[in-house]
Amino acid sequence: MRKMKRVVGLFLMFTLILSITACGSKTEQKADKEADVQSEETTQETNTEDGAGTEPVTIKLFTNLPDRTTGQGFLEQQIIDKYMQENPNVTIEIEALQDEAYKTKFTAYTSSNNLPDVLSVWGQPAFIDPVINSGYLAELNEADYADYNFIPGSLAGFSKNGKIYGLPRNTDIQVVFYNKKLFADNGISVPTTMQELYDVADKFNALGIAPCSIDGKDKWPLAIMYTDFIMKLTGDNTLLPNSIGAKDLSDPNFKKAADAMNELISKDFFQKSFTASDYGASRNLFAQGKAAMFYMGSWEMSMATDEAIPEEVRNNIGAFNLPSPDGAKSKTTDLSAWNGGGYAVAEKSPVKEEAIKFLNYIYKPENWAKGAWQNGICIPAQSYEEYLTGNETEVQQTLTNLLSQATNISGTPINDCGTPTFKTTSEDLSQQFATGMIDSETFVSKLNEALQ
Amino acid sequence: MHKLFSNKWIILSLIAPAIILFAFAILVPIIMSGYYGMTEYAGMGEPIFTGMKNYKRLFFNDPTFWKSLRNALLLGLGFVFIQHPICMIFAILVDKVSGKWEKFFRAAYFIPNVISVAVIASMWVYIFNYDFGLINNVLKWIGLENLQAEWLNPDHALGSVLFVLIWHGFGWGMLIYYAGVKGIDQELYEAAAIDGATGLRTYQYITLPLMKPVIRVNVTLAIISALKQMETVYLLTNGGPGDTTQFLANYLYLKAFRSYEYGYGNAISVIFVIVCILATVILNKIFKSTEEY
Repeated sequence: MRKMKRVVGLFLMFTLILSITACGSKTEQKADKEADVQSEETTQETNTEDGAGTEPVTIKLFTNLPDRTTGQGFLEQQIIDKYMQENPNVTIEIEALQDEAYKTKFTAYTSSNNLPDVLSVWGQPAFIDPVINSGYLAELNEADYADYNFIPGSLAGFSKNGKIYGLPRNTDIQVVFYNKKLFADNGISVPTTMQELYDVADKFNALGIAPCSIDGKDKWPLAIMYTDFIMKLTGDNTLLPNSIGAKDLSDPNFKKAADAMNELISKDFFQKSFTASDYGASRNLFAQGKAAMFYMGSWEMSMATDEAIPEEVRNNIGAFNLPSPDGAKSKTTDLSAWNGGGYAVAEKSPVKEEAIKFLNYIYKPENWAKGAWQNGICIPAQSYEEYLTGNETEVQQTLTNLLSQATNISGTPINDCGTPTFKTTSEDLSQQFATGMIDSETFVSKLNEALQ
Repeated sequence: MHKLFSNKWIILSLIAPAIILFAFAILVPIIMSGYYGMTEYAGMGEPIFTGMKNYKRLFFNDPTFWKSLRNALLLGLGFVFIQHPICMIFAILVDKVSGKWEKFFRAAYFIPNVISVAVIASMWVYIFNYDFGLINNVLKWIGLENLQAEWLNPDHALGSVLFVLIWHGFGWGMLIYYAGVKGIDQELYEAAAIDGATGLRTYQYITLPLMKPVIRVNVTLAIISALKQMETVYLLTNGGPGDTTQFLANYLYLKAFRSYEYGYGNAISVIFVIVCILATVILNKIFKSTEEY
């Protein structure tokens, strides 16, 4: 019996050792194989090259667009394919993750100081400040972009001390999308004042249709809504950044904006339990015609061309700017808009020059700006006048009009104005406020506290 | 053979892989966490040493931390006092039905554990939905409209989340108890029957006492998994609305990776490890004091 025990013990130990050593050799083998594949690839590439003597280059692209078959991810992929065709010595490796997972992995890369070459970044202090301050991003030469037609001010978020570190992809406008058919069938017209908006909410609620859908689970749309109310109340786009900079939210307009937002929510304007509804669910509510409106950024104009959305809804999407509250100082043409996502190049990239060349290629107006607009994907951060075709969807036209007639633009939403900690705290607070867990006074005072 | 094992070098070489594995997979990361917990570090740039500042903030200035700890403990209590008694009753019942139905029920009760957490979470989000959700529609159907509620709003969210977690963990608990019940020698029941013991008394005096080791393992596992709870909460509510349904592990993730407070996140994780160890020690103490044989 004792002997038996020993044999079993020995066997267990042996398997443990085996498993460890086996793991080690396996990874080595794998690495060898990869190296083989790579060298094969490189030989192939050098063979197919048309002389020129260019070295094979591999650029790693880390992007927040995992869907490679529709929308922005599709466009990105198209541009990459074109670039690799024009530059046969360049291979672009893609790693794509959804926003939140992207940001998590991004931190993992920075903490091991091992960022890929070209990166998705957000030109907002909450994301980009610590990244620039720690020297992770390569400086770009502003003169390169003189004829890229970036909208004035759109590079500001990506700049620090007069140097630019990234380029924006899009201009985002916060609007209310609405289902024109539902409005027309029920004899409801587009509201232009808050009172009219409340009336619309009453009518749809009486019909058993959710008036407006919002993604309350992810919290940031609620923070954007608060920003929208600040803008719509004051018509002043300096109040928010100045107050955040001075760490002082004592201006009475902050409470007034919160009150106005609270009033809208209290009119049952949004779907039931909207804080439990995530992006997909809230979008779906609108896309399936169960909600009459959808409060979201202009990138959702691509709904109008999304085959997955029932035709009845897809062909009837309109958009309007959130009305101003009573007694507001803003004009009806003041917008909440900003330039958020974009690309940058890692400072430590071993192929920095090539990466910047590729970055510049993406932003050639005939690539991103033209593709984004003409495919109805989103509003580019570059001027797209020359790419207007006249075949735009109605919602595209509405958004273009809103933008071209804008008298003032809010800039970065409140949650992205401060530190990353302020971002999560302010988003949490926005959600607590929206569900009525805290009142407007506590909301503003806690926001103020979070700034300190 | 004996000679071989008395050589200290041989012994060392045999346990070395395990020790190295333990050191690098568990010990070193914990020590690193301890260090980062005392720094201000955004996950990028250089960490700045700040001593006990993070811990001070954690203990005296962070109501969300306490709320998430409370929620985790509530979940632990829910597991022990709600889930486990039910698990045990069902284990005994499944054992009782015997035959092909036994196999069927055993498999059926375990199904929730086989389905991916992501699917479970989004399924429950839809079940809880106010307008289209199963619960509210069933309530409406049986004429109890006044009981309809917004299940994931601040008033009900914690209860709903706890319910899902207790439901989801049910299969595991039951399966382990079931194995325990199966392990009890049938002769004991026969002997008891001869002595005149019937029905509930057999369970009270034979099944329960003999299940003690199983209960012990199961309760310890339950408490630890309650403290570690992350993925279901993350997918179900992500701690919302506000911080109503925040749990320790989810909060840690949020702080370290969303707020870029890597140092602070590490401080939470150190406390987290301590809480887990404490819970295990306390449980062992409790079980030791009730051990009779």
